[in-house]
Amino acid sequence: MTEPSETTADLLVPIFFMGKRYEVPASLTIQKALEYAGYQHIRGCGCRGGVCGACGTVFRTPDSYKLQVGLACQTVVQPGMHLMIMPFYPGNRSSFDIEEMNGTGGELAALYPEIFKCIGCNACSQGCPMDIDVMHYMAQAIRGDIAGAAETSFDCIMCGLCASRCPAEEVQFNVAILARRLHARHIILRAEHLHERVKQIDSGKFEEPLRDLMSKSTEELKELYKSRESEPQMAEEDWTPADARYV
Amino acid sequence: MAKIAYYPGCALNERSSHLDRSARDATVRLGFELDELDTWTCCGAVPPVSEERVMNLVAPSRILKDVRDSGRDILITICDFCYNTLKRTNFIIKSDEITRKRVNAFLADDTPERDYLEKDDSLWEDYAGEVNVIHLMEYLRDELGYEKITESLKRSLKGLKIAPYYGCVMLRPQNEIQLDNPENPSIIEDFITALDAKPVKYPYRTECCGSYLSVSSPDASTRLCYRILTSARNSGADAVVVSCPLCFYNLDSRQKAITEAYSDFKPVPIFYFTQLLSVALGVEYGRQGFEKHYVDVTPVLDKIGISTGKGGEE
Repeated sequence: MTEPSETTADLLVPIFFMGKRYEVPASLTIQKALEYAGYQHIRGCGCRGGVCGACGTVFRTPDSYKLQVGLACQTVVQPGMHLMIMPFYPGNRSSFDIEEMNGTGGELAALYPEIFKCIGCNACSQGCPMDIDVMHYMAQAIRGDIAGAAETSFDCIMCGLCASRCPAEEVQFNVAILARRLHARHIILRAEHLHERVKQIDSGKFEEPLRDLMSKSTEELKELYKSRESEPQMAEEDWTPADARYV
Repeated sequence: MAKIAYYPGCALNERSSHLDRSARDATVRLGFELDELDTWTCCGAVPPVSEERVMNLVAPSRILKDVRDSGRDILITICDFCYNTLKRTNFIIKSDEITRKRVNAFLADDTPERDYLEKDDSLWEDYAGEVNVIHLMEYLRDELGYEKITESLKRSLKGLKIAPYYGCVMLRPQNEIQLDNPENPSIIEDFITALDAKPVKYPYRTECCGSYLSVSSPDASTRLCYRILTSARNSGADAVVVSCPLCFYNLDSRQKAITEAYSDFKPVPIFYFTQLLSVALGVEYGRQGFEKHYVDVTPVLDKIGISTGKGGEE
């Protein structure tokens, strides 16, 4: 009988959560390490996949004075780190009716006049776990470049860590989502084919085939599924299925 | 075509994009291209005036450092406020070693892998004021030469009498800006002459238009603009030319309030210097955004015969 080999997963390292020391396996993410230590995430857990922004985390490691950021579900623990998860950061949020707006920079400035307090210190970009150039999308918002602000901020997950770092008390993430909404509703071209299809659905074009499907037995459905026609791997652009009634 | 780093500034991005466009149109016809920086923030507009010596210099210093790091040593602006801010920031960075170190220590945080305090062996290079900040009019005068403009004219502005308006920040403080004599300047007069028009001398050309007072004390700005415009008009000017978007806003839009407050006031059309240049170089006047002006410029264009029949590109 051989001894189980020591893997990195077996190594325990100390981390400090809210100032209290825990020994956790070195290979875990912060989120899993805290669960290992006995915490149950009720809020601040979210998708566990790095896209929802619910587990924004600030931490410091012993080798540096610098404040660091990450997502608890994506960041692996480091020995000796002090950390705190910030599931929510308070930020003022203006209310607006997107249908009554036109997508101009002036509208953005009217809803968030404090954007002009930005001094360009760049603390927000340094505090972004998604590596977004927050300061520059704020600069674009300030000069009324809605399209630019929408594109630069596209990866934002609304964790709010930018706002937590801001000496000018900006709410960058809320400014950014307004820019993206204005951009989507009033600036970029509408996807006409989508509206066409919605109209077709509304007009009942797909009612009959759906009813037909619902009336079938499980066996018949399985057979239909198995015999379905797939698009060939190297299909030409103008490829259409044999039954093109609903395309 | 030669490309020169260009900082448009926030005012010229959306509301006054026509002024930015006229500058780009004109410079291409003079043989060089204004190459907008990839990313830029607000310059801060007033930082060097403040006693604070670090935080308010961070943003303009970063802009200048980005220009240097892209391998260029000239940055052109067409806005007096941006010019003043960037040039004075550069002056402070060059002349004040302690401020230079503090600003650079802060800027170094932009590079996450670099820790300014702990790793002095990295590739970081302090920004030390290497970039020369140049006003477009300064570039036209000193680098291109006004005579080159005169040679390139497609339309004559002959017969137009134009009052140059300097405002306060284009020339002051002289020891830092060193563009012209702040009390008796001639750079805009010579520019007007190069366009074949006639510069008008009047006493208020270097007085303030009220600047940001337009927001907090609009009446004060109205009074100042009334004095400036009436003085120009009484000296025979057909129009006033400016080189600052805020002066442009005050002198043009404020004429509504002036007309209401002063019964003897007669409106004066305002041009941005790049618009006059662009028109004189033959760019169609439809690209100048004249419809955005509060005071109609058509009478002036009529006088040189380009709004009637000859509006197209020549």
